[in-house]
Amino acid sequence: MSRKLIIDPVSKIEGHGKVVVQMDDNNQVTDAKLHVVEFRGFEKFIQGHPYWEAPMLLQRICGICFVSHHLCGAKALDDMVGVGYSTNTPMLPTPEKIRRLGHYAQQLQSHVTAYFYCIVPDMLFGMDAAPQQRNVVGLVEADPELVKRVVALRKWGQEGIKSVLGKRMHGISSVPGGVNQNLSQAARDRLVNGDDGLISLDQVLEYAQDGIKIFKDFHEKNRAEVDAFAEVPALNMCLVNNKGNVDYYHGHMRIVDKDKNIVQELDYHDYLDYFSEATEDWSYMKFPFLKALGRESGSVRVGPLARVNVTKAYEDNCPLANAALEEFHDYTKGKANDMTLHTNWARAIEILHSAEQIKVLLNDPDLQKQQLVLTPADNAWTGEGIGVVEAPRGTLLHHYRASKEGNITFANLVVATTQNNTVMNRTVRSVADSYLGGKAQAEITEGLMNAIEVGIRAYDPCLSCATHAMGQMPLIITVLDANGKKIDEKIR
Amino acid sequence: MITLADYNTESSLIYGIGNVGRQDDGLGWAFIDWLEEQSICPKADIMRHYQLHLEDADLISYKKQVLFVDATKAPDVETFQLEKMKAKMDFSFSSHAISIPSIMATCRQCFDKVPNVQLLTIKGYEWELQEGLTSMAKQNLDIATEFFRQHSIFNKSGITYEKA
Repeated sequence: MSRKLIIDPVSKIEGHGKVVVQMDDNNQVTDAKLHVVEFRGFEKFIQGHPYWEAPMLLQRICGICFVSHHLCGAKALDDMVGVGYSTNTPMLPTPEKIRRLGHYAQQLQSHVTAYFYCIVPDMLFGMDAAPQQRNVVGLVEADPELVKRVVALRKWGQEGIKSVLGKRMHGISSVPGGVNQNLSQAARDRLVNGDDGLISLDQVLEYAQDGIKIFKDFHEKNRAEVDAFAEVPALNMCLVNNKGNVDYYHGHMRIVDKDKNIVQELDYHDYLDYFSEATEDWSYMKFPFLKALGRESGSVRVGPLARVNVTKAYEDNCPLANAALEEFHDYTKGKANDMTLHTNWARAIEILHSAEQIKVLLNDPDLQKQQLVLTPADNAWTGEGIGVVEAPRGTLLHHYRASKEGNITFANLVVATTQNNTVMNRTVRSVADSYLGGKAQAEITEGLMNAIEVGIRAYDPCLSCATHAMGQMPLIITVLDANGKKIDEKIR
Repeated sequence: MITLADYNTESSLIYGIGNVGRQDDGLGWAFIDWLEEQSICPKADIMRHYQLHLEDADLISYKKQVLFVDATKAPDVETFQLEKMKAKMDFSFSSHAISIPSIMATCRQCFDKVPNVQLLTIKGYEWELQEGLTSMAKQNLDIATEFFRQHSIFNKSGITYEKA
């Protein structure tokens, strides 16, 4: 008799997920699905609101990557009012750099949260450790000095966000065509030099290297397990600049294959011409894919692993991150890296890259200049805009249309977690195969639950973002037989 | 007896937790609004945030006493409740939120100290994406603030209360 295994809820991720594993009569895994059972809402909710409210309201989808949503929306509004990139009018230097600074501060803060709070406990205590220990609270008890450094690092990131956006969460900085304030010299000096309770930028750079060291130590001791864990194929996508290197704020989309051949390159304004979205009745989260390649071959991976796979190098002024990136590239001899747990290596590299970019920006006097907004020309209003940024979890797209009166009539958000939907499902399938395939008793063990969670967590998915949910959601794992009968289920 | 006047020091923190964009989740901030409107505890640090984060362990490590104010759905709370909190690691952590006892335990573990912490919870009913308290939540806020009015001498000894 075939069986189905269900994990619900999946813990230490944002939102409510459920995993169902289908077994056949020969005890082989025939299917594994990550169900996302939250409901959508924000795209509808925003309709009828004035266009300028969109970046302010839609950032409230998320308490972690709100800056990305805010900036993505702001870029869409730049388009809508007829300024900036879509009109080939360069954004003024100060607002662009202010936006980038806020973006890097958020990336630092978000990656530090996901990596040190949720992922490092898995590495330090092992996947088989009890969930009660394999948690940040276990980390607090085991290594308070590390936690102090992490707290200091995240706090610095939040202060960086607050300095740019006015508040540490859901602040407002960007307006159509620019920003509403520059960075004062005093705020800049505080971020660089620190003060009582705030570490200095040099300490940020020092602490930002902890993550790579922790991953490398863990990898050194567990190389075979780490490398074999859910090695799943996918194309890799991110925004790149004209040199073909990742640009977190603006660029064109590049998609590369395993050999890093460019499969597709596109202006993100043409996204709908190249991508389609499949739906399934078992998940509210869609499955985007490249139309030209179809759903199976055309699904992409986004986020830290995809970005380090796509980019050849970082900016010349990031020597530490460039050295780390080179080591990462050397590990797979120049091929794209499909090892799911190496996403955490990539994330640690990006923490360092963010810190170095922040240092560059904070030493740029443009941040204190007064030209903040690019005024649109008469009749420049287009009524439609698309913005794309590289959010911490990957490529994020906002697309709005507004009426002549300026009220939103259409909104479409394609978030990183949605882009990663297929590759996350492949990861769950791979883990289920490893733990259950060929075993007579397909019971849900702690080891299986932990492994599935670790696999999903590598993507740092935000299911609330992905479904634009408006409610509070809590993972569930279930095993069903060939007839759909539930034979095991566990909830965390 | 503890008085709100005890919080009128620079070593005190009064911290409203909530989200005014989600109906009664705004109760914590509404209480902070009331404190500010009444000019109560002007010397204390006043904060409003959506939820707690681990770095709040660092924040409270600089304080001698902390009053957290939050909305609650707890069935055993009719209107409001005040309780003294104890440091304890629990497993409530996600990257979006962490409990007050865990924050206190983290503070003690990392910084070798922990302030006196109290939690004021006020009963709420609706958490939908909408601004404004429900009328019942507003009543509970009024009951809480009125309780403090009756048990206090403003501008002298502050507001006195006992455990509800």
